[in-house]
Amino acid sequence: MAAEQINEQKYHEVWTTPVIRIGIWTMLIACFLSFIPLIYLYMVHGILPPFAQAMTAWVLVASVFGAFYVVEPISYYPILGLAGTYISFLSGNISNLRLPCSAMAQEVVGVEEGTKQAEIIGTMGIIGSVVVNLAGVTLAAFIGTWLIGLFPQFVADAFRQYTAPAIFGAVFGQFAMRQPKLAPFALGIPITLLYFKMPIWLVILAAVFGTIIISRIFYKMKIIH
Amino acid sequence: MDEVLRIANSMGVWLTAAPIVIIALVQVLLYYRQIYHAADAVNLKPEQLRKAFHTGMVTAIGPVVAIFIIMVGLMSVIGAPMAWMRLAVIGAAPTELTAATLGADAMGVKFGGDGYNLEVMAVSWWTMAINGVGWLFLVGVFAHKLEDVREKAGGGDTKWLGILSVAAMIGVFGYLNSRNLTAVSGPFVASVTGAVSMVILLQVAKKMPQIKEYTLGIAMLIGMFAAMFY
Repeated sequence: MAAEQINEQKYHEVWTTPVIRIGIWTMLIACFLSFIPLIYLYMVHGILPPFAQAMTAWVLVASVFGAFYVVEPISYYPILGLAGTYISFLSGNISNLRLPCSAMAQEVVGVEEGTKQAEIIGTMGIIGSVVVNLAGVTLAAFIGTWLIGLFPQFVADAFRQYTAPAIFGAVFGQFAMRQPKLAPFALGIPITLLYFKMPIWLVILAAVFGTIIISRIFYKMKIIH
Repeated sequence: MDEVLRIANSMGVWLTAAPIVIIALVQVLLYYRQIYHAADAVNLKPEQLRKAFHTGMVTAIGPVVAIFIIMVGLMSVIGAPMAWMRLAVIGAAPTELTAATLGADAMGVKFGGDGYNLEVMAVSWWTMAINGVGWLFLVGVFAHKLEDVREKAGGGDTKWLGILSVAAMIGVFGYLNSRNLTAVSGPFVASVTGAVSMVILLQVAKKMPQIKEYTLGIAMLIGMFAAMFY
């Protein structure tokens, strides 16, 4: 499965080009479909968000999340790859679902990180997670209120509060095993910046690219390989 | 508020929320098919693809249970169809709640409180939609440019490209954990126990490869239960 055996031109033809075509179209269609419920509200109930307040709300929400629109795709791209990025940013739940599922698929199949095989296997893991995710939210929408009554309260609370931290820890452990020398920096950089109350978007960028830069230095110095 | 929730849960809203959920499904079906077309070119066998798909599904179960529970909470404030639509696409529950609240704020009304009428709800919906579009649009238009950046950063050195991917992953999860590690609390215990369990489970999986695809799910449960008893 050596990378050099892969026919670059064929790969481009059967993967990269269609991936981009599918990605652009589905993302732009999704942009339009986001507003359908508002159109419905106007057509059937005659209700339109007042223009001035709608613009104010847009400014407010962009000031909270705007930096993430740019920072997240750039930071997650080296892990998700192209198709993985399109899927993850349409389906959401990236840190708690897409990244762990992509990583586990690669781990189980046993592909080498950063290769074309890894990208496709990771994408397949993400697709599996989207299928379960869509089934889950559809189930929740229809019978969620009834089903939730069957859970003991403390179990429901534990899932709500602790799944994300536990998964974050587990995935960190999984990857820290591969490059243990990078782990202290990956934790040290964001904890220090959080201590100094830096904005979250800056903390993400510094954690990801700081760790990448240190890995580059260590690689050049032959400390990691 | 009753009137608002009655309309928010009406059949019409269900029907208008459905298309974006369907496009998310269509997108993965198209990529699924494309992977089978491309597998040959990268020397991947169908059983490896099946294994990857299966692992993705198994690993997703735990987090999806969490999403399920959070969504039921969200349904009571924005209605079932909107919660369904918003959680099937970009933006997790806290993001959507923040956006819906900011929409109400812009109208000078408390989210879900007195004065939260249909017009305010429309602004909440608008704010959730325009916020999601921020990611959808930028990724739709610019994602393929990122591939050029990665190729340049990789410089054709496949070994370095592998290290770069691992470094990015450790960096992202270093950040995600850092927010739970600044104080000893339930999330702190969940994070540390999850990490230790995963390292041990992966060692065990070297001798018992059949458990490998369940390791992350098991580590998650151990971390969760440890936090419950903290």
